[in-house]
Amino acid sequence: MMLPLPLFWASILAPLILGLVAAAKRELGRGLVNAVAYLSAAFLAIPGIVALAYSPRINLASWIVDPLFIDLRGSSIGVIALGLDGVSAPVVIGVSLVTALVSIYSIKYMTHRIEELRREGEEPPGLGVYFSLYNMFSISMLGMALSTNLLEFYVFLEISLVSSFALIALYGYGDRRRIALLYFIWTHVGGALFLIGILYYWTQVGLFDVVDVTGGRGVYVAESLAGSAALYAMVALVLGLLVKMAIVGVHMWLPYAHAEAPTPVSALLSPNLVGIGGYALARFALPIFPEGMERASTALIALSIATIIYGGLVALRQTDFKRFLAYSSISQMGYMLLGVSTLTAAGIGGAMLQYLSHAVGKAILFMVAGVFIAELSGLRDMGKMGGFAARYPLMAAAALLGFFHLVGIPPAIGMWGEVLLVIGYSQALGPYGAQALLLVAVTVIAAFTITAAYSFIAMRRIFFGPLRRNISGESLDAFKASIIVIGVIGVFLFIAVTPLSEGLRASSELLAAIGGGGS
Amino acid sequence: MTVLEYTYAGFLPWSLIWGAPYIGSLVIALLWLAGYRRDLVYGVISALSIAVSAIISSIAAFQVFSEGPIYSLAAGEWFPWLGVTVGTFIDGLGAVMALVVGWISLLIGIYSIKYMEGDAGYARYFFFFTFFVASMQLLVLADNLVLLFVGWEGTGIASYALIGHWYSDEEKAWVGRPGRRALGRQMWFEPSHSAVRAVLFTRIGDLGLLVGIAYLFLVAGTISIPELASRPDFWISELAARGILPLLLTIFTLGALAKSAQFPFHEWLVTAMTGPTPVSALIHAATMVKAGVYFVLRFAPILIAGGIALGSNVLVVEGLRDYFMMLGVLGAVTAFMLATMAIVSDEVKLIMAYSTASQIGYMFLGVAAGGLLMQELEKAAGGVFSGLAHLVSHAVFKAALFLIAGWLIHVAHSRFLDPMGGYYRYMKATGIALWLSGLSLAGIPPFSGFFSKESVLKYVSEAHVPVLLALGLIGAMLTAAYTLRLILRVLHLKPVAGADHGETRPGEAPRLMLVPYLVLSVASLVMGLFWGLLSEAYSRAAELTLSLGRFADLAFKLSSEALVATSLILIGAFAPYFVYYLSGIDTRRLIERGLLARLHGFLYDRWYINSLYYMVFVDGSSRIINALGRLDTAIDKLYHSLIPGAVSSLADSVRSLHRGRTDYYLALYLGSTALAFLLALMEWG
Repeated sequence: MMLPLPLFWASILAPLILGLVAAAKRELGRGLVNAVAYLSAAFLAIPGIVALAYSPRINLASWIVDPLFIDLRGSSIGVIALGLDGVSAPVVIGVSLVTALVSIYSIKYMTHRIEELRREGEEPPGLGVYFSLYNMFSISMLGMALSTNLLEFYVFLEISLVSSFALIALYGYGDRRRIALLYFIWTHVGGALFLIGILYYWTQVGLFDVVDVTGGRGVYVAESLAGSAALYAMVALVLGLLVKMAIVGVHMWLPYAHAEAPTPVSALLSPNLVGIGGYALARFALPIFPEGMERASTALIALSIATIIYGGLVALRQTDFKRFLAYSSISQMGYMLLGVSTLTAAGIGGAMLQYLSHAVGKAILFMVAGVFIAELSGLRDMGKMGGFAARYPLMAAAALLGFFHLVGIPPAIGMWGEVLLVIGYSQALGPYGAQALLLVAVTVIAAFTITAAYSFIAMRRIFFGPLRRNISGESLDAFKASIIVIGVIGVFLFIAVTPLSEGLRASSELLAAIGGGGS
Repeated sequence: MTVLEYTYAGFLPWSLIWGAPYIGSLVIALLWLAGYRRDLVYGVISALSIAVSAIISSIAAFQVFSEGPIYSLAAGEWFPWLGVTVGTFIDGLGAVMALVVGWISLLIGIYSIKYMEGDAGYARYFFFFTFFVASMQLLVLADNLVLLFVGWEGTGIASYALIGHWYSDEEKAWVGRPGRRALGRQMWFEPSHSAVRAVLFTRIGDLGLLVGIAYLFLVAGTISIPELASRPDFWISELAARGILPLLLTIFTLGALAKSAQFPFHEWLVTAMTGPTPVSALIHAATMVKAGVYFVLRFAPILIAGGIALGSNVLVVEGLRDYFMMLGVLGAVTAFMLATMAIVSDEVKLIMAYSTASQIGYMFLGVAAGGLLMQELEKAAGGVFSGLAHLVSHAVFKAALFLIAGWLIHVAHSRFLDPMGGYYRYMKATGIALWLSGLSLAGIPPFSGFFSKESVLKYVSEAHVPVLLALGLIGAMLTAAYTLRLILRVLHLKPVAGADHGETRPGEAPRLMLVPYLVLSVASLVMGLFWGLLSEAYSRAAELTLSLGRFADLAFKLSSEALVATSLILIGAFAPYFVYYLSGIDTRRLIERGLLARLHGFLYDRWYINSLYYMVFVDGSSRIINALGRLDTAIDKLYHSLIPGAVSSLADSVRSLHRGRTDYYLALYLGSTALAFLLALMEWG
């Protein structure tokens, strides 16, 4: 379906322009800062609202498309268009929801952070520059989720890397310049590998298009490649995305970057950006390299289970709240990889719902961590927390809800994801014999219980037990209300999942069929 | 195989059985968020919404019994991909469950209004309390497995939150003797610790349930319970052909075993006693821990129907037999094991918790006996429904016992038994209530607990598995013994340790608390006195239950088994009287040294199972975690210092050729020119 207005382009260009305008002014007044943040939030929310509003009315498998597109087929590039279908809808909603509300959250947090840096004798650029980079980062993720073309995706990927690099380098914590560089190099290794994959595709096909949406509805035009050269290209592309997702073995950059980024940026990086790697795996790798993916499936499943367990167990020994959340993100990426590498519709659908659940949950948790950093003079050490539920009951409730989203306990949309993942996983392991069943049961119980373990143990360390320090109570402001709103919308999505699930099903089945894995 | 006829109905009003308490909890949450802080209102909202649930469940039960089962279905599906509907399926089993859950929750809710007075977390308490009731009703009435799972997880969350209700971990809310260790592991537990234990133990089981749901979806093609029941032969033979029938059923039942605290999952329930006592009464005695029993009650008839239809298929018959035998063994072991722990325990709530897990073991035992008697459908129905009968009896008397315990602990300012004693003088009504509900637990005729336990044992003896019967009988004797020990010590004997009542003399509970447990304990007597009528009602319920459709004979008949059981129970009940009044033995001296001391320690420390779990799982995983931590550091080093280090030393060695000294460059230049010249000469030469 063609949108009546170019809403997707508006949601990408308007925040960009707002950010540039804000950056142009040296010092922003309070009113102007609020205006920029809230207006950007409104625009960033649009694609998510569109996805939710249209999903009950149209079959999302036929795509919702922005009426504007740039036809560069003449110059062997393809069509630069924006659109979404059932598979990308949960991703788009996740990005919209989190970026919009974190924008509001940023006002207080970054004001505080910039003051803190100035007290330390540094001269960070003001809020205007922050918002211009923040918006650039946010729209780049929307762009990736809405891309229909490999090159377009790659350009947005680059924008996301550069803007998040700058945000870490300028406003981060600890050894922030070194960590920003480390982040930059790692993600560029991933990006370059991905680029090798798509350039190979281009040499074979001559265009970068994956989905053709020029007719108002999406049609897969990606050609599937086979043969040994294609296998190498697939390995490069998949490896690039695995680096992006911080799958175990190539995960080491994530704990540094996500823990030391300014907290609003962590709340975007951790669930949203890394998860897009999993989305891209489903959207691009599956239709382009069906044969190779089929061959890699078992290895990828093993890797995903290893990642869930590894990330979860290493998270358990962290004492820094943000670093703990970072390791939890590694583990959560294991869930996404698990879903996609089953090559089944249920697995792909489960992975995308997992993305949305993780977006809601991890954003809430990073934001709660940020509340303590901002209000309790930089407190991040979980060893020094304890009993905070007595003073921060709202944050305790929000964090508990956040952990439910990671574990997949209702009322979190992750419960649906979890059910689908287990179904897809069982399907992938084949003929439902005793060995397959035992393997599924043992790995699911071990891996998923570890997620519950670190979640509830962390909940206890932070919020329960005797009050470990004398802190004053919480007051509800826009800063914290933004967290509550994400939580409430998360619960709403769990209940109102029906239309989304239908689009997701149709699109996932299509993708799985193209990918050759069957339904 | 008889097909159950049910009538379809609209979404309302039947969905309100679980919907009303959900609405109630939502209102509580919104009021709290809006900053409203008048405690009483929260309690009243909770009680009202639960009252709606209880009343509608009564109407539903009436209609089910008069006109047959109701299937109330929302238009459209919730998650069409998996065929998840929002359906309320009320058959005989569901009606009885909803009725019990509704009314007992209401009584305990009313008790809580007074009990929790002045508590800092009053609103939070009633939020989770109401949310729990809703989830529990959803669980027992759900028409499909995923909806059941939603309710299932909901009860789990509420249980977690309420076990850890007093999250600041003050000592009065602990369980176990502070400072006591077994095999070096601590044996006392703070609320926040117990909450994590509960959620993790049950999570393990829940994931088994989830894998089971996934497999049923893939093999049977449906998750709807009535649909699974309509063609059990199809998917059961399918599972048997793949060689996974008993294995899958076991994995599928893990959730039930964990939720119902059966061995080896019983540890979480014991420490769950850190929660407020009405929570222990409702969630950890009367309802949630019965969810597992409900689950096997729901599926055993379906499996039995499938087994009968496939009577000639050896794989099926043997697979089902293995499964029911597994259930029976776990139930019997739990019934026996936890009873032995109760007999030495010195904490009132802990005794009740052991007793709960042990009694649930009897329910599993009854269902398992029904399954083992599959060949004779009448007996199978009787066995399965003896589990339900005991579930109901137990819900009533154990709720009463816990509510009484709440008052006893309040009076004694201690959760331990030692400072309690001689309370009958101060509180006659509470004393009578304790006697009534206690005798029902002990299994003394004519209380309901006697008849239901007796029918369980009757069918176990019919199933001809001597071990199960023996464990059940010994357990019944121990039950009578520990119950009478508790009653005598609390009501009639002198306190062992110094009683500290502070300023107040012990007295009767306030009316709002007294009435609920009086009602419940009188009910346990009345239900026994009218067992004839009640057993007919159960029988009718069995006839109206999915896949069962048969009368279940739960009427009491004199038999040699019944005589043995009754005499063992009476001996057990007499034992404490003998020890305390006639023998002149000082029990405290008895356990000071020697074999008895060792045995006492073994039982008191729960057969060391808790310590073993900590040694294997907690220590084991912390070893793995540390190893992984080192691995992680190694990976970090590899990427972020070894590789960059190697690169920079490579760069250094290249750079060392360029030292910037003229003589060096000159020498290098001359040398290499000479070399090139030499090479050229050799080439041309």
